[in-house]
Amino acid sequence: MSLLHLAIVSPLILAAFIPALYKKFANIHTGWFLLPLPIMLFSYFLQFIFQTSQGDTITRTLDWIPSLGIDFTVKIDGLGLLFALLITGIGSLVVLYSIYYLSKEKEKLHLFYVYLLMFMSAMLGVVLSDNMILLYSFWELTSFSSFLLIGYWNHRERSRYGAQKSMLITVFGGLAMLGGILLLYLMTGTFSISKTIKMAGELSGQPLFVPAMLCFLLGAFTKSAQFPFHIWLPDAMEAPTPVSAYLHSATMVKAGIYLVARLTPVFAQSSLWLWIIAITGLVTLFWGSFSAVRQTDLKGILAFSTVSQLGMIMSLLGVGAAAFHFSGKSAVPYTVATTAALFHLVNHATFKGSLFMAVGIIDHETGTRDIRKLGGLMTMMPITFTISLIGTLSMAGLPPFNGFLSKEMFFTSMLKVKEAGILSLDTWGLLFPVIAWTGSVFTFVYCMIILFQTFSGGFQQEELDKKPHEAPLGMLIPPVILASLVVIFGLFPNILSDSLIAPAMGAVLQNILGNGESFKVEISHWHGFKPELFMTVGVIAVGFFLYKTSDKWIGFYRLFPEKWSFNRGYDRTLELSQLGSRRFTSLYMNGFIRTYLVYIFSFFIFILGLAMVYEQAFKINTDDLAAVRFYEIMLVAIIAAASISILFAKSRLTSIILLGAVGYTVALFFVIFRAPDLALTQLVIETVSVSLFLLCFYHLPKLRKSEGRIGFKLVNLLIAIGVGTIVTVISLSAHSSKKFGSIANYYIENTYKKAGGENMVNVILVDFRGFDTLFEICVLAIAALGIFGMIKLRLAKGKNE
Amino acid sequence: MNNLLIIPILIPLFTGIILIIFSSNIRLQRTISGISSIVTIIFTAALAFQVYNDGIQTMNVSNWEAPFGITLVSDMLSSLLVLTTSIIAAACLFYSFWSIGEDREKFYYYPIFQFLIVGVNGAFTTGDIFNLFVFFEVMLMSSYVLLVLGGTKIQLRETIKYILVNVISSALFVITVAFLYSVVGTLNMAHISARIAESGNSGILTVIAVLFLIVFGLKGAIFPLYFWLPGSYYAPPAPVMALFGALLTKVGVYSITRTYTLFFYHDAGFAIELLQILAIFTIIAGAIGAIAFHDVKKIIIYNIIIAVGVILFGVSIMNSESVTGSIFYLIHDMIIKAALFLLVGIIVKLAGTADLRKMGGFIHTYPGLGWTFFIASLALAGIPPLSGFIGKLLIVRSGFEDESFWGAGIVLMSSLVVLFSIMKIFIGAFWGKARVPKNTGKVPVTSLLAAPALLTALAVLYGLGTEAIYPVISLAAETLKNPDIYINAVLKE
Repeated sequence: MSLLHLAIVSPLILAAFIPALYKKFANIHTGWFLLPLPIMLFSYFLQFIFQTSQGDTITRTLDWIPSLGIDFTVKIDGLGLLFALLITGIGSLVVLYSIYYLSKEKEKLHLFYVYLLMFMSAMLGVVLSDNMILLYSFWELTSFSSFLLIGYWNHRERSRYGAQKSMLITVFGGLAMLGGILLLYLMTGTFSISKTIKMAGELSGQPLFVPAMLCFLLGAFTKSAQFPFHIWLPDAMEAPTPVSAYLHSATMVKAGIYLVARLTPVFAQSSLWLWIIAITGLVTLFWGSFSAVRQTDLKGILAFSTVSQLGMIMSLLGVGAAAFHFSGKSAVPYTVATTAALFHLVNHATFKGSLFMAVGIIDHETGTRDIRKLGGLMTMMPITFTISLIGTLSMAGLPPFNGFLSKEMFFTSMLKVKEAGILSLDTWGLLFPVIAWTGSVFTFVYCMIILFQTFSGGFQQEELDKKPHEAPLGMLIPPVILASLVVIFGLFPNILSDSLIAPAMGAVLQNILGNGESFKVEISHWHGFKPELFMTVGVIAVGFFLYKTSDKWIGFYRLFPEKWSFNRGYDRTLELSQLGSRRFTSLYMNGFIRTYLVYIFSFFIFILGLAMVYEQAFKINTDDLAAVRFYEIMLVAIIAAASISILFAKSRLTSIILLGAVGYTVALFFVIFRAPDLALTQLVIETVSVSLFLLCFYHLPKLRKSEGRIGFKLVNLLIAIGVGTIVTVISLSAHSSKKFGSIANYYIENTYKKAGGENMVNVILVDFRGFDTLFEICVLAIAALGIFGMIKLRLAKGKNE
Repeated sequence: MNNLLIIPILIPLFTGIILIIFSSNIRLQRTISGISSIVTIIFTAALAFQVYNDGIQTMNVSNWEAPFGITLVSDMLSSLLVLTTSIIAAACLFYSFWSIGEDREKFYYYPIFQFLIVGVNGAFTTGDIFNLFVFFEVMLMSSYVLLVLGGTKIQLRETIKYILVNVISSALFVITVAFLYSVVGTLNMAHISARIAESGNSGILTVIAVLFLIVFGLKGAIFPLYFWLPGSYYAPPAPVMALFGALLTKVGVYSITRTYTLFFYHDAGFAIELLQILAIFTIIAGAIGAIAFHDVKKIIIYNIIIAVGVILFGVSIMNSESVTGSIFYLIHDMIIKAALFLLVGIIVKLAGTADLRKMGGFIHTYPGLGWTFFIASLALAGIPPLSGFIGKLLIVRSGFEDESFWGAGIVLMSSLVVLFSIMKIFIGAFWGKARVPKNTGKVPVTSLLAAPALLTALAVLYGLGTEAIYPVISLAAETLKNPDIYINAVLKE
């Protein structure tokens, strides 16, 4: 186990001690015990920048299940490191924030922090694993820690609902991804991501390539809340706000983006990859921003905004993959998209993180997040206002913040699609910038809504439960740090470019560069009067106009009835599948043994009949048979007559006696065939059972005259005839298909010689197969005990049963 | 020859007989059966260890040479299953001490319990097809008694159905053995295998294979023969339900696996194809049942059916990887089902009802119970690194490799249904407003929790220690894939 492994599992190790710490030091907020860990991890990961910016990677392996090619292999490269820093960096801030957000008196902090640590480990594992099964394991662990965190306040119905929903959707995606991993394995013979990437060239032609790709995309899209799987994310907002800031905006939802980025070298050969990702991303971008505008809950707006921003990053990754379809210089324009994706990933984490924390502060201080109740908070909470101002303007894409830079690059990339001229993108290519621009307009609108509806306008004390004032210092520090980063990255974007973004690009776009080459990333504010700039100006103008006139057109949303929403679709699917299953199950599980026997025997007749016909197994061979004599015919006639009479018997006693007749006649068969032992046994059994039956049935009420309708009887008849026929036919065929002499000769030879007995049947029963007999006796003993117990022990006695 | 094989059958047999004598002394009964169950674990572990090191162990009962007498055969699969059975039996037994109630204890609960184990261990160990029938009878008769003991209305009603179905299937079993005997002229399983290999497959053998599938499928609850199961397993008290759910259906699954890998592997068409189709439908039928109810017991019961389908799907692929996966999954499922039934038993006792809609918030009073259940649920759903994962991974991968995409996809996605159904219990029973369960104080939760918690811990270890167990399981699969190993061990000693 290397230090790197330890770093990944260290949160889990700490988690094991949290409950004890919580109990022991009840008067210290448990969060303080956590805080040092993510900070330490952050500084630990920071040192790797020197290596990754040289293009080096660090790999450490630990055996887990080597027999199946499953290892605990972790690898640090540019992409993994970028995410690891994000996870630990934002993690530190969130922990600090949570200390002030969650009260140590009221909350079960130990649970909260155990879940949070579990998540931190899992997320680090996801982004640093070089083994797909390991990646999958951590992936599921993030889903479950998210489930537990969303359900943290599980006394609320919405919280349980949101937890279940997020789990179902993300685990569904996880399973699909597992399917993809296994399909990929069949092509490559390895679970190692690095090795798979090396083999990328040989894969694209294989028949399983596309299914594997689709499976992976399902995994990525569900996790990253892409349309139409985005529906779980808004409901995930039931989690405490630090969790929303951390899992559901900065890190976990980016796992899908990570997956796409990570696997781009494997799948980008296929233009399908590019298409699906770019289009899904754009649709998500549009739908997310479009839906955000109609929300009234601040966290709801942010949730849809996250959906939309994730879509934007996703679409950039899709377009970036086009670089794989070019070589040399002509690939460069598309790499801008990848740069933008990675840059925006960081930017989004900073501005969205700060916004979530600001919303948390507002919620904490005013008791509501409803924009209809809020307003005029600017003077009461100036710092929170400043944070929100920076966050929203950056998200809206205004200079000089980092969001402006990545949005410009986004527009550049979308415009490039039009110029690509290959992959048959040219005709549809125009749609890309159009949708991108429209989405950005809505983004601008909801940013304005967040900012102005909360902070400007009239203050409505009567709507609030408490008197708002600025939050405590500790709660302000994390968002202030994030907001400063928004500004710093905005003014000096190139701090990031060589240290983090270029190495990460090297990982996403490997195979494109020749040996020793590396990406040069240069991000600047001013590109001259280019279309991108005009698009931004247009976004601001149209967006501002739409915001001002929003009263006029907000009613437009009512055109989308709730009934047809995806949410409703999910709810209905869940309801209907349960209800349908219940109906269906109670339809055939009616509790009557007769019905079950009908099913079982029908299946018996059908499947054995089919087997007999299909396999042409029917055979009759009369070579080995004794001649049929008068006696046998007589006996058969008696058996037949008795059996048929049973059907017409009016009382139970008659039936029993007739059944006895059948039994005795069978015994006579044994007599004729010279098997006196068997004949005797049969006679004894028949006598005992008939008399016992007579004894019991004497006490039972009379048979009801007509049991059921004619259909009922007809089914019985058909089944009886069917089973009889099938068994007879198989018996004849089995008899006629003898392939070997039986082992019986051994007994004939050895009964006297070796076993010292004269009666072969006896010797078989008590010696050759005495073991059988012993346990048959045992069965009788059990039956005796059971009957005794059943008769004597009535637990429900006197309870009217 | 190795007499160790018969010990796991004899210990419970003699324990059962001794316990009959002391039926009124409950404390003595508990002590004896407790000690006996632990001694059985030790012996079965020793047996498994020996099989792993020295290969298949056989024992010709009364020293009549195979194939003329009855031969007991422990290969890796059989000895692993016997070991698992002993562990589960011990867990259910200790759980019974606090839950089964004095009345049942006085009326031969413990002896019958032991006889059931006799039957199960015997069925796993025997190498003779007729003797298998006999052990089925021992097992079934004990299960009838365990099911009816107590005599409540639901027990009596369900027992009748259970007995009827099983008597019919027993009759079919005897007929099937007779047909097989008529064709190949022998009862020793290794000998049957050798003879079928010699003569090659023929139509009538396929028909007999289908018959065996019906006979064992009735026990193992495959589609469309499982109808009796949900009702019957619902009736008895928790530890009995756990025994049934963990062991009885698995004996059916084991028997299908054994006969299909030892006798009918020549059949490339009808029977194995049929097995695969039925396995897939079994998963679907189980899945439909599992999401249909708000009744915690029913949810778990239908999960049995899903698991049976998953295991048999792996068997039907019939390559080393899929069989390895099936064995991994089989043992996992035995352990985790026992744990879940015992846990659900506690939940139902606490709530005084099995209806999820009338529960909620238990985790605030019983966090230990809640988290054990949560981990067991994840293990059941096959979430890595817990026990269900590797088996499912291998089964799905070999399914893809075999180009049974639909089947493998259904196995994969069945995890989601399993998770949904089981998390419904977790969310419904444990989450929600803190409220004190109805029977708090009347149920010794801590004592009851010990057994399922240990089983859950075992499941976790089973998953984490996959690497350590892997050679054992793959040896078991190897033996199944190469019947010659089995035949040679039995016939050429």
